Amino acid sequence: MAAHTAQRANHRKLLVLGILVLLAAAAYLLVGVNVSNEKLFWYAMRLRAPKLLVMLVTAFAIGGASIVFQSIIQNTIVTPCLLGMNSLYTLIHTAVVFVAGSGSILAVNANLSFAVDLVLMGVAAMVIYGYLFHKTRHNVLYVLLIGTVLTSFFGSIQNTLTRVMDPNEYDALLSTLVASFSNVNAEILLLAVMLLAGIVVVFRKDLALLNVITLGRNQAINLGVDYDRCIRRLLLAVTLSIAVATAMVGPVSFMGLIIANLSRQLLRTYRHSQLILGAALFGMFTLVGGQMVVEHLFHYAVPVSVFITVGGGIYFLYLLLTNRRV
Amino acid sequence: MKIRQLLKQYDGKTVVDGVSFEIPKGKVLSLIGPNGAGKSTVMGMISRLVARDAGLVEFEGKDIKDWKSHQLSQRLAILTQSNHIQMKLTVRELVAFGRFPYTRGRNTPEDEQIIQQAIDYMELGPFQDRFIDELSGGQRQRAYIAMVIAQDTDYVLLDEPTNNLDIYHATNMMKIARRLCDELGKTVIMVLHEINYAAFYSDYICAFKDGKVAKFGTVEEVMTKETLSEIYRVDFEIQMVEGKPLSIYY
Repeated sequence: MAAHTAQRANHRKLLVLGILVLLAAAAYLLVGVNVSNEKLFWYAMRLRAPKLLVMLVTAFAIGGASIVFQSIIQNTIVTPCLLGMNSLYTLIHTAVVFVAGSGSILAVNANLSFAVDLVLMGVAAMVIYGYLFHKTRHNVLYVLLIGTVLTSFFGSIQNTLTRVMDPNEYDALLSTLVASFSNVNAEILLLAVMLLAGIVVVFRKDLALLNVITLGRNQAINLGVDYDRCIRRLLLAVTLSIAVATAMVGPVSFMGLIIANLSRQLLRTYRHSQLILGAALFGMFTLVGGQMVVEHLFHYAVPVSVFITVGGGIYFLYLLLTNRRV
Repeated sequence: MKIRQLLKQYDGKTVVDGVSFEIPKGKVLSLIGPNGAGKSTVMGMISRLVARDAGLVEFEGKDIKDWKSHQLSQRLAILTQSNHIQMKLTVRELVAFGRFPYTRGRNTPEDEQIIQQAIDYMELGPFQDRFIDELSGGQRQRAYIAMVIAQDTDYVLLDEPTNNLDIYHATNMMKIARRLCDELGKTVIMVLHEINYAAFYSDYICAFKDGKVAKFGTVEEVMTKETLSEIYRVDFEIQMVEGKPLSIYY
């Protein structure tokens, strides 16, 4: 059966990707490390291992969120970033520090601050985006247009807040706000991993529904899917994943777009479990490999997000030009 | 299946106004009428795709609102006209989705057998591993019908199944609809624009005008010069072809 051979080919592709990721991860940990000196070795590991983990977790969060989001709104050239989910997270984080003060427990304890941000983000995003989807009846163009406006809207409010803030408070805020791949927020790693694992467990069954949802609203309802409820649930999962990624490494636009589309191109399937896995593996490989290049070749002169944005921009244009129907 | 006093308003404008009729079991029923008469909206409300403002859609003694969605999807299938898929999906995979109400995506060998039968019934064997977006309009429509067959429901609702098809494929589509009823014993309900297809291939016709039922009855009862002229506001002649009243309008 051709369908079965295609399945097996996909499993093989994913396996190869997985091995590549493992190799990249091992290289990232070991390149330039003095293995003979035990003390130096463990010192390097303590520095590198959390960073590596953060990258892997982020790649999974962004890859999964992007695939799910694209399938929900039935368009493969959008990412949650285009709707301003990143900016929303940054705004909420700023607002919490602004209201509570940088000395409060909410700002000092990284995990607590993260948890509060997540809850607020979940609620705000459900209200805003849930309403947006409902109001526009999932019309991609409107959703994107309003999303773009929302991105600058959230950005402006956040900007205003930081300007009226006490400079000392702002200084404290800044260190958590400008996370990047070279300066990851590893403190919240454990909580983030637990959260993502929770999301995977809770929403695992929804993936089968997501396969049906890509057939369109009418078909999904015809096949017995509670469409509106399912969309709301999946949107919550997307929001939380984006929040986790943004909290750890800051906003990365285009990343989701690239890895989701690479995964779709490589696997050519409707099975979301495979698509998400593919996107996550692509993301891990890109991030770990890119970070290695940044650290050892460019000596931190250029952050990895610059490469991702440049590469992503070009890939985005390529998608626009080759897609017959966007 | 009984429809009682259906009402639907968009922005204060009433598009479906107190529609009541009964769907005869094991027959082909066509809903016809001019544009904006509300036939597609009625179809949407019967199939739970469109929310209603008032009224009842009683299915097997229970309002469809009170049915569990996945249970209803084992009894009633709807095929609408707009089916764009972004995914890379083969014909076989699409047909396999017809089993989703029963298996939630985990198909057993028996399901595979039902899927194969549906594919064979629609003569899609040679295309079964092709991607949906590489098929012609007629083939794609047949793939969707195969999915509905795999869904194995007593009731099949088709919203303008001949839309965007040429005469050859549209006529084939109508023959398939007839076979769904005659060979597989399904109750088929269609929204049709082409009156003569409705006359030739259905048992009953429900004609709509201005959001109300203008006439419900057997083909012979509805396909009269007077009724059609009143509904469509153009002149009609009726001619018998192969024992069926077909209309000529000009």
